[in-house]
Order: sequence, then structure tokens, then C-alpha cells
Amino acid sequence: MSNRMNKYLSDSLLKQESERQGAELWGKLIKRPTFSFAVFAVVMILIQALSKAGLIGSSFVNAVGSTLIFCIVGLGFCLLLGYSALASLGTAGFIAIGSYSAYYCLAEWGLTIGIGFIVAILFAVVIGIAVGYISLRIEGIYLAIVTLGISEIIKELLSALCDTIKIKGTQITLLGIESIKLKTDVIYYGIVVILFILMFVTQNLMNSPTGRAMLAMKNSTSAAQAFGVSLMKYRLMAFTISIIYASIAGFMYMLYIRYVSNSMGNLFTLSMSLNVLGAVIIGGMKSIWGTIGGMFIIYGIDQMFLQDIPFFNENPTFITLFCGILVIVVVMFYPGGLAQLALELKYKLASRKQKIKEGIYGKDLG
Amino acid sequence: MAKILDKNHSNHTKLVKLRQSYDWLSEELIGLTEIYESKKQKELNKFIASANKKLEKSAFLACDKEGYAQSELEAKLQKYDVRAYMSQRKINHSAVKAIFKAVAAGEDYSAVLEKRSAEMKALNEKRAKYIAALESKKQAFLAKNNVTDTAPYDALKAELDAQYSAKKKELDEKYGAKQAAHAAKLEAKRSKISAQIAELKKNSPAAYTLPDDVLLEVKGLKMYFGGLKAVDDLNFTVKKGEIFGLIGPNGAGKTTVFNCITQFYKPTGGEIHFATKDKEVISLTDFEVHDIVLQGISRTFQNIEVVKEVSVLDNLLIAATRHYSSNLFVQMLHLPLLRREERMITARADKILNYMDLYSYRDRLAWGLPYGVLKRIEIARALMCNPQLIILDEPAAGLNESETKDLAALINKIRTELGCTILLVEHDMSLVMNICDHICAISFGRKLADGTPAEVQASKEVQEAYLGVGGE
Amino acid sequence: MCAGILATFAVTLIFKTSYTTNFAQGVISAIGAYVAVELSMKNGYPIWMVAIVGVLVAFIVGVAIDVLIFRNGRYVNSLGKQIITMGLISIIIGVIPFIFSVAKMEAVPAFPFIHLTQGLQIGEIFIQYNTIIGVAITIILLAAVFLLLQKSKWGLSVRATASNEIVAGMMGINTKVITAISWGIAGAFGAVAAIIYIGNVTLSNGYVMTTTQINAFLAGILGGFATFHGPVFGAVIIYGLNILVGCLCIHMPELSTWKSAIVYLIVMLLVLWKPQGLFGKKLVKKV
Repeated sequence: MSNRMNKYLSDSLLKQESERQGAELWGKLIKRPTFSFAVFAVVMILIQALSKAGLIGSSFVNAVGSTLIFCIVGLGFCLLLGYSALASLGTAGFIAIGSYSAYYCLAEWGLTIGIGFIVAILFAVVIGIAVGYISLRIEGIYLAIVTLGISEIIKELLSALCDTIKIKGTQITLLGIESIKLKTDVIYYGIVVILFILMFVTQNLMNSPTGRAMLAMKNSTSAAQAFGVSLMKYRLMAFTISIIYASIAGFMYMLYIRYVSNSMGNLFTLSMSLNVLGAVIIGGMKSIWGTIGGMFIIYGIDQMFLQDIPFFNENPTFITLFCGILVIVVVMFYPGGLAQLALELKYKLASRKQKIKEGIYGKDLG
Repeated sequence: MAKILDKNHSNHTKLVKLRQSYDWLSEELIGLTEIYESKKQKELNKFIASANKKLEKSAFLACDKEGYAQSELEAKLQKYDVRAYMSQRKINHSAVKAIFKAVAAGEDYSAVLEKRSAEMKALNEKRAKYIAALESKKQAFLAKNNVTDTAPYDALKAELDAQYSAKKKELDEKYGAKQAAHAAKLEAKRSKISAQIAELKKNSPAAYTLPDDVLLEVKGLKMYFGGLKAVDDLNFTVKKGEIFGLIGPNGAGKTTVFNCITQFYKPTGGEIHFATKDKEVISLTDFEVHDIVLQGISRTFQNIEVVKEVSVLDNLLIAATRHYSSNLFVQMLHLPLLRREERMITARADKILNYMDLYSYRDRLAWGLPYGVLKRIEIARALMCNPQLIILDEPAAGLNESETKDLAALINKIRTELGCTILLVEHDMSLVMNICDHICAISFGRKLADGTPAEVQASKEVQEAYLGVGGE
Repeated sequence: MCAGILATFAVTLIFKTSYTTNFAQGVISAIGAYVAVELSMKNGYPIWMVAIVGVLVAFIVGVAIDVLIFRNGRYVNSLGKQIITMGLISIIIGVIPFIFSVAKMEAVPAFPFIHLTQGLQIGEIFIQYNTIIGVAITIILLAAVFLLLQKSKWGLSVRATASNEIVAGMMGINTKVITAISWGIAGAFGAVAAIIYIGNVTLSNGYVMTTTQINAFLAGILGGFATFHGPVFGAVIIYGLNILVGCLCIHMPELSTWKSAIVYLIVMLLVLWKPQGLFGKKLVKKV
């Protein structure tokens, strides 16, 4: 009898299980990375909406906007550094390509945004392949230097072409119709959407055969080659993808900030490349969320919060100092970056919680 | 001559691609039965579950009223307990909060504990009451249904049985037809490809020839590093299906020979010919290092080159990088084509992991796994790309005696069951002498002896090379 | 040009002994320059003295960086070390305004050994005494250091450490001291370079040596980091090209905006032709 009953009982348990599965479907959806990306995008859009309602200052939103632009660069760097172990110091030059193509397409040639965007990407692909073909013959540590040199060339060439670039609001049109002008807040939404799409794409690439091949290449070039991974092809791929991301970011930067002066602003400099690199390292080279967190630390915090505090306003270099110390500490003690730190903290918290509970009620209570 | 070679090369690339899709289709065809069988079983299981549920209630009513009533009671009690557990948890949570508050405020929290125990007591009393109520309900039920009647149960069972067989037949037909259609489609594709292969083969004249039973031929191989002659004028042939051992003292150039075969080094001179699956003879020196694996040669490494920051499964998937046909765009958006390919290749990897007795490590990071396991992972990875020739570079280095024995058995198993030819470099003479069919001994890049293990052991040059020249 | 050659040697020395490209080289040298300028402008000490003090400070900073950071980060891979040096840039740039009052000024005027208007007039060409002093210092320093590298025990130790640190350690060379001293010397060379460099350039911020440093890295790539002399020749080639293109620009003024781009482009083409550098060797990895 008891046997049969057990069977029956297990059946009723199954029912509960199925009810729980309904809840788990939701849980599974939540656990999907795309869902968290979407939540992030919605929060970012809400910030703009709240600022329109007057609840958040516009300078805060501007800081978030420019940080998001650098997040786009960071994602490309994640693939380049975390997955292929190629360090590039040419980021500033590649961002400049995007900005200049935005300027020439929109302000000089009067094209629409869509076409300008495609032109920026095409430029990035051409330059990425050409530059990659030169510099990727050189391995590891040398690559950073060569890309640095190439970035200098690009910068020199571009500032020789035109030193100060400026886009007027009336020149940013959708579909070439004069009446549809895109204001800064629309551009902000565009940035968020592009970032979301790129996060999705990057996540997919990381979990694809390409991502695995890149990891293989990073860990052991000989094993990768023996199993059919062409080093040049995958390095070129990672390099070009990162340049495309940087170019897109430069394009959006031009639309959002609308003014760059090479001789005055010193924007596209080595320190910009270094900041991007530092942010990716601080965040965790292999993690999308880590990269975005790192970008918010390096670019976000000082613009969003610290600039209102008088001490930091008087000593702007203090932030640089702080970033430097952070980078060194992270590299020396947490090679996995903040992503690794977060993971460790999560485990520690969970075990601490469990211990407190056990201490109060004994072990069997969950 | 160069033109013919060029044409041959492009033809060969096409051939490799075709062969790959041919193999792919064959794999898909074999996997087809499994897929449809599992689909069918899923639906059948659903049906069986619902039928069993119906049947069980009826069975209880027919023969075991006591049991049925009891189980009904237990089920209700269980549901009640779930609810009770929730309220218990609520009590506990509020108690924890109150205690933290009290501790933070520096107050005594014994009152909180008392309150909690009182609430718990009330909960327990409530449960006892509920059990009593259920018990009385059960007694009432038993009093009401006192007659035993098996007829409804039998009728239901017969009906369900009939339904089951009908359903099974229907599903068999449905999925059988589907499978046949799918198989026919794949078969058609495959025969088209094999026709293309035949066509291509007819068109491309053979640039090199090898005897039928020879898989690999190394002819006059020379590899110089500056003035150092690491390999000098080496000749040997590996026959299909044999285990071929390359031995020699340290620095004899064994690994260099391997690196020349797999094109990690471009040989200074000499030829290396290889017969592919399509019985096409190619010269390996025409290929880039990353294209060698496509020809059916895979290798392991002397100092283990496992990718440490990904799981064991991913390590195997890396070896199949060239087997994916989805391009970058498909991968970026994770389209169904990629998902299908991933499923198939993961299934292949699972099969190999099982074969190599590694399945328990499937999702573990390769970081920090024991040395012997890493060695097996390397061999498993080499098997991932359906190779004809596996090159093992000192597979027994660092293994103890029993592990070496296991390894010898494994190598033999791979040879007999998977039909791979194996070429190995080894220092462990017991392993080499036990399992090799053919041995080539080299020293300072030159061949000393060539033959069966016994012949090589008897050779005077080999003894001299290992033990030194005999004096007076 | 002299500054560039000295900076190149400093970068090479650290690359050989610590297996990393020191991106902080420029800012470490800038510290030396700042010390010199600060002492001279505030206290009015003579230039020779402040220059020596500046060089000493840079030496100490270099040693300190090795002892405090790199010695503890021995297990960091080469990429990580590179990134640490990038972090150092941020730290030094962040610290400079707190220490040096001159850093708060908009721009410090040029700081020559001898006033720029004085010099030798040979025919049509006017050579400043300052330049001559710079060239002399560079030649003396380089000759001394290469002589030391080739002949002295220290040089042998450095070369041994550069070729294989572990084996050198096992042979009884105290690699820790060698690396620390190399960092110090690199810092000192950098400081000399910076002090020569600011002879006719204004010292506006800590990034003053960035261009020189970029040139030094490119020189390293061009000459090949495999040898000590390769990068120095690379630097000579790069600055020679600069002068050549500059001469060309005198005849074709429209070229002058493209000057540095052209030089860089030529260097890149040379690198494309010889990826291992002009004096480099190709290494075959054993698998």
C-alpha cells in the first residue's frame, strides 16, 4: 500500500513542480543576459525621461550619455583584449575616424544620418583591415605600440584635413527631410538603442564558435592553429570589430556633443586610449557588465557626481590619481577585474547569510 | 607545372569542403533516428502520464479504498504543509528582523524569541486540528463506499490500452513519415555531393601517387635551423591503420618531424605526402598550418596546450571550429542555423567525452584538472575533428605506470574501434614496444633503423645510439 | 633629437629587464624636469645643480616604482605590466599638481642651459650653444652606458637578465637589484632627456614628453627590441627622417601640415617590411 501511495504522492508533488515550472519560466527569462541588457536600456531611457520631467539635472544626463558612448567603445575592447589578448592603444584615432566621418557626411556633404552611419562603418572596416594587416604581424606587447603609432598618423592626417569640426543642429536630419531635425535627446535614445544592440551582438559573439576560437588563440596559439584557427583571420576579425565599435561611438559622439577641436580640446589623445583600456581592465576584460561598470567608474563618476563637490572641482587631477591607483590595484590583485570581485562578493554574501540563519535556527531550516 | 598545382589546390579545397558537408550530412542522418525517436517518446510519455493518472484513481477506488482515502488525506496535508511552511518562514523572517533591530539598539531580544515560539506553537496546534478534520472526513468516505467493484477499472484499462496502441501507431506513422522525408532530403543532398566529389576527382589529375595501403609518406625530409640540421634526409612511410612509433634519444629531432608534418615548421626540403579520405594524395607542404586539420590530421602536444579558461566541453568544441558553416553574421544574431550546428557538435562532443570516460568533467573548467585528465582531454580533442591520422607527441610523459598501461589500452582501442592511424613519439620504451606495429628510430635527424619492434631492438645502431658505442 | 635617443635607450633598458613597455617613461622623466624647474624658479639655484638633483629624483622614482610595484607584481603577465605602467601615468599626472607649484602655472617658459640667443655662427647656419651641450651630453652618456654594457660586470648582469631572468638568477646574479637599478637608470636617462627637451619647448603639463615617448616606442619597434643598439639606431632613423621631411617642407610648404604623418607612414612601411625590426631576429616557438 505504502508503495502505491508513494507513487501517488510523488504525482501530487509533480503537480506542484509543474506549477513551480511556470514560475521558473519567468526565472529563466530573467536569467537570460538579453533581459538584463533590456532592463539596463530601459533604465537609461528612464533617466532621460525623468530629466525631461525636471526631476534630474540635464548635466547629469549629458554625463550619462557620453559615458554610454564610451561603453560602446568598451564592448569592442572586451572582444579585443579579453577574448583575443590584443591590446590596442589606437582607440582615440579610431574614435576620431567615426567623428570625422560624421562631420564630413552630415555637415560637408549633407547626407542623412543613416547613410553617414554606414559610411562610418565602411571607413572603419577599410581602415581596420588595412591597419590590422600591417600591425597584426607583430605580436603581443608590440601591437600596442604599433597601434599607438597608427593612431598618431590618423590623428595627424585628420587634423591636417580639418582642425575644428562642428555640426549644427539643422544638419542632423533623418531621411534628408529638413523639417525632421533630431534633437540631442533623440540622439540619446539612439545611443541607448545602439548600445543595447551591440551588447546583444557581443554577448552572442562571445558564446559562438568565433568567441571560442578567439579564447583558444589567447591561451595557446599553437593549439588554436593545430585545430584550424587561422591566427591572422581571427585577430583581424577581433581588431576590425573593435574598430567598428569605436567608429560607431565616434559617430554618436559627434552627433551628441557636436563639436571637436583638435588643437584646443586635446580630445583624441593617448590618454583617451589609456582611459578606455583602464576602464576595461578595471571592469573585467571578459565581462560585458564589468566593462560597462568600469566605464561608469572612469568616465561616469567624476562627471556625474564629483564635479559638484568643490574639492574635486579645484583639484581635477585627483580623479586621475584615483583611477591610476584603482587600475594598479585591480591588475595586481584582481586580474579578473570588478566582475571577479562581484562574483566573489556574491558567494561570500550567500554563505554569510546561510551562516547567520543556521546560527539562529539550526541547520535544517532553509 | 605551377598552374596545374594551383588548379589542383583549388580543386582540393573544394573537395575538402564537399567532403566536410558529406560527413556532416552522414552524421545528421545517423542522428536523425535519435531525434525523431526522442520526439515520439516525448509525446508518448505525455500520453502515458495522463493515462496513468486516470488509471491510478480508478485502481485505488477498485481495490484499495483505505489506501486511496489515506493518500487523498496525505496529499491535502502536504498542500497544507506547504502553506504552513510559508507562514513559518514569515514568522522566522520577522523574528530575524526584530532580533537585528534589537541587537542594533542594544536591547534584549528574548521577548522576540518568546513571541516566535508562541506563534510556532499556535501553528502546530492548527495543524493538529486540521489532521483531525481530515481523519474524520476519511472515515466518512470509507463508511460510504464499502463495496468492492473492479469492473470500472478493467473497462477503463482496456480502453486506455486501446487508446495507447492507437496513439503509438499514429505517432509511429507520423514521425516515420517525417523522418523518411527528412532522410530522403538529406540523402538526396548527399548523393548530389558525392556526385560532385566524383566529378571533381575525375577532373583533377593526380599530382602525386602513393601505394594504396600507405597513409603518410615522408621523403627526404630536411629541417635546418641556421646551421643546425635538426632533421636531415629522413624517409619513412606510415601504413593505414597501424600504430607507428618514432623513437630516438633526446634532441634526435622527433618533435621537429611532427612539427614539419603539421606545418608548424616549414621544412627546408623534402616532401610529405598524405592520402586523404577521398584517396586523393596531397603534399602537406602546400598547406597552411591551420588547414592541416581539415585534411584529417590532428595532433596532441608535448607540453599540454589545453585552453584553461573554458570548460572541458568548450575545449572539444574549439577543435570543431572549422566544422561550423555559419558565418559571422549568423553568429552575431545567434540564428537557428548556428543553434542546430551547436546541438549536433555538442552531441558529438558528448559522445567522445563518454568514449574517453571524461563525461564527469564535462562542465568543469580545465583549470586545475589533474595531469592525466588533461592528457585525455588532449586526445579527446584530437578525436573531435574526425581525423584519419592522430599524431601523439609523448603521450605518456609524466604519467605513472598504471596510467601508461591505461593509455596503451586506450590507444589500441582508438585504433581498432575508430579506425584511426596513430603516429606517436615516445620515450617510454615499454609503451612503444608493446603497442607499436612499426617503429622508426632516429638520431640527430637521421634514420637509424626501421621495422617491427623486435627488429629495431635488435639493431646495432639503435643500441649504440642509446647506450653509447661499445668499446674494447 | 638627443632627448629622443636617450628616451629610446631608457625604454629599451626597461623592456629588456622587466619585459614590459614602460608607458610611464614620459611622465617619470617629466618629474625630473619639474624638480629642476621648480628648484630653479623658486630658489634660483644654478641650472647644473638643479639638473643633477632632477636626475637623481627621477632615478629614485624609478627604483621606487620597481621596488614598490613591479617586485610585487612578478606574476602579472606582460600585458598586465603594461597596464600597470599606464596606471602609473595617471598616478604621476595626478600627483604633479599637488607637489609642484609651477605645475599650476599656465605654461613654464623654455628652460635652456645657456640662453637660446647665444650660439655659434658658422657661415649661414646658426647653432645654439644649448643644442651643442645637449648633443655632447647625449654622446657622452650613450658612449658610457654602452661601454658599461659591454665591458663591466654590471653590463654582463643586465645582458644576462635580459636574455633569461630565471637562469640569470640561478647563476648568482641578483636580478632584483639589476632590475631596480635598470629602472633607476631609465628614469635618470629620461630625466636628462626631459631637461634637454624643455630647453626650447614650454613645459605645459606632465604629458610634455608624450611625443618623444611615442617616437621612442616606434624607434624600438623599428630597430627591434632584441638588441640594445637596434632601438637607438631606430631613433636616429626616425629623427633623421623628421629632419629630411622638414627640409623637403621648406621647398614644398603645402606638405608641412602632413609632416609627422609622412614620417610615421614611412616608419610603418619599414615595419611592414621587417616585422621583427631592422636589427631583430625571428624566434621560432617550440611546440
